[in-house]
Amino acid sequence: MSEQPAVRTSDVWKVFEHDGIAVEAVRGVTLEILPGEFVVMAGPSGSGKTTLLNLLGGLTQPTRGKVWIDGADLTTLSERALARLRLERVGFVFQAYNLLPVLTARENAEFSLLLQGMAEDERHRMVGELFERIGIAGLEDRRPAKLSGGQQQRVAVARAVVGAPALVLADEPTANLDSATSLALLDVMANLNRELGTTFVFATHDPQLMERAQRLIRLVDGAVALDERRSAPASP
Amino acid sequence: MTRSRRGVLLRLARRNVVRQWRRSLLTGMAMMLGVVALVMARTIGDGAHEDWIDSGVRMGTGHVTLQHPQFRFSRKLDHRLPAAARARIAAALEAPEVASLVAQVTPRLEMMGLANSPTAAVPVNIIGVESEGEARFSQLGVEQRRVGGRYLEPGDRLHAYVGERLAQRLDLGLGSRLVLTAQDASGEIAGQLVRVVGIYRTGVPEVDEAVVHIPLATAQEWLGVEDDVTTVAVLLTSAWGVPRALRRLRARIGEEGDGIAVLGWRQAMPELDAAIKLDDFWGYVFNVVLFVIVALAIVNTILMSVLYRTREFGVLRALGLTKRETATVVFTEGMILTAVAGMVGVVLGFAVTWLLWHDGLDYSGALEGELTFSGVVLDTVVVPVFRRVQVVMSLGSIVIVGLLASLYPAYRATRIDVAEAMKFEA
Repeated sequence: MSEQPAVRTSDVWKVFEHDGIAVEAVRGVTLEILPGEFVVMAGPSGSGKTTLLNLLGGLTQPTRGKVWIDGADLTTLSERALARLRLERVGFVFQAYNLLPVLTARENAEFSLLLQGMAEDERHRMVGELFERIGIAGLEDRRPAKLSGGQQQRVAVARAVVGAPALVLADEPTANLDSATSLALLDVMANLNRELGTTFVFATHDPQLMERAQRLIRLVDGAVALDERRSAPASP
Repeated sequence: MTRSRRGVLLRLARRNVVRQWRRSLLTGMAMMLGVVALVMARTIGDGAHEDWIDSGVRMGTGHVTLQHPQFRFSRKLDHRLPAAARARIAAALEAPEVASLVAQVTPRLEMMGLANSPTAAVPVNIIGVESEGEARFSQLGVEQRRVGGRYLEPGDRLHAYVGERLAQRLDLGLGSRLVLTAQDASGEIAGQLVRVVGIYRTGVPEVDEAVVHIPLATAQEWLGVEDDVTTVAVLLTSAWGVPRALRRLRARIGEEGDGIAVLGWRQAMPELDAAIKLDDFWGYVFNVVLFVIVALAIVNTILMSVLYRTREFGVLRALGLTKRETATVVFTEGMILTAVAGMVGVVLGFAVTWLLWHDGLDYSGALEGELTFSGVVLDTVVVPVFRRVQVVMSLGSIVIVGLLASLYPAYRATRIDVAEAMKFEA
């Protein structure tokens, strides 16, 4: 029996209207990303990386084509069902960390578990283990404003992976970090990919991240120009 | 929405209110000042209205008036209350459920007539009164209103208590004689010689020139009506008891077809009723304008807060909140502010009003002479009235305003495009 893709697209297009002019941000992308893959989507600015990432996460709907996460067709889901799917099956890591400033590091990390109604003990245990694993143990009660950029991004990664989603989408996660912090963060995500089997899809310019990719997808003008699987694992 | 989700939304809303404390304080202050102004306006306004009503009913025919159904239109002796009707009224007023509401009862025989002196004749409203009861009931007999002589006393017979303007027009002084003429029970013109024992001044020209009090027995004998009267005026312990008193009296006395009309002061004194309603109307207009301004301030600050946090709302949606839940966060923030500001505003409003004016707000300095309105002399010292209904009304008003003002920002939060929100820089 063949493995069900974590995410799949079929001839996906995204067209934006700007002052009456149609701009094709994503043009006919068809791809399958399997569970446990460590995928990097690279390309110059304006190549459609972020838009494709938003389409994969159900943050925006395609103008044409289909997107499936874990077999669920995002284009047919209601707003409520889509929100539920994002909560349970997708994790996001953003360039600007985007932690909720009024919550502590632990509350940010356990946000999806809170929404799912998980008991406090269980949440704390899971987040505690994760914080230990990614090197931010002891920072649980700090608010984001009291954390460095690297620490905030680790909390964001913890928030993305804590619910064991089918897919983690990361948009330029190292863009605001210095080189050393970027490397450390990449190690964290590579470890999570290897140890927990979490599927990562990145949109990035970062050469360090591209080097780590098991699979590199190059986008040019909204279309896939190269889809290359590499044999080397995404180990640190 | 599950309990855990509601808990998360409430936590987010509560912490956001605290996090943006300057904005929250500004919004809360606007709401609080609105409530304080409302409480002050209501307590002072209610105090003023109670004073108007009290002055009006004492000068006029009481909180409750019992008359022949036609008397207030005809003002004729044909439409008077005979002995049997008076007995029924007395029995009804003595019933425990009515008596508990009643402070004072006085019978009157009223008729239109002429007051004649050697120098002039002036149309007047002649009122036959029981001096003892009337002295406690009416404001005419009180010492402050008296400019000379005394009020009627038991045992007086051919005596009259007249207004200052009437005395001037008829060139009367204390002890002067005047002749009152009116149509008696048989329809004939009858005259009665009386002597002035006291002169009053209310400040209301139409009262000071036209109302003459004489002993009830004198009036009844002169007009040949035996023990009949035209009016039984009832003063209650509180103006708020009027609807209850009317209901209970009507239940005992019956409908107007039985020859007795039970009238509240609003029916008996429609001008005063209209004056209070008009004042209330402008009060409400003031409140509406005030709360529209408050609402705009709330909408503005909450909306600014929503726009400022566009990216944050985008993140919430990306993390799995629905549009409705995102709106709930904004709406809850508005309602938290409303609840806190409303409660503080009400407490502050009552406290400030009590501290400043619990002895009464004296605005006599802003007036020249007496303040009269709709035939009533108003006290220039208004004592605020504090009632539970004002708390309910003030809180209710701010809750409605807060609720309406939070709706639009909450709606705007649902319109945020998640993908676009991530590009937003505050």
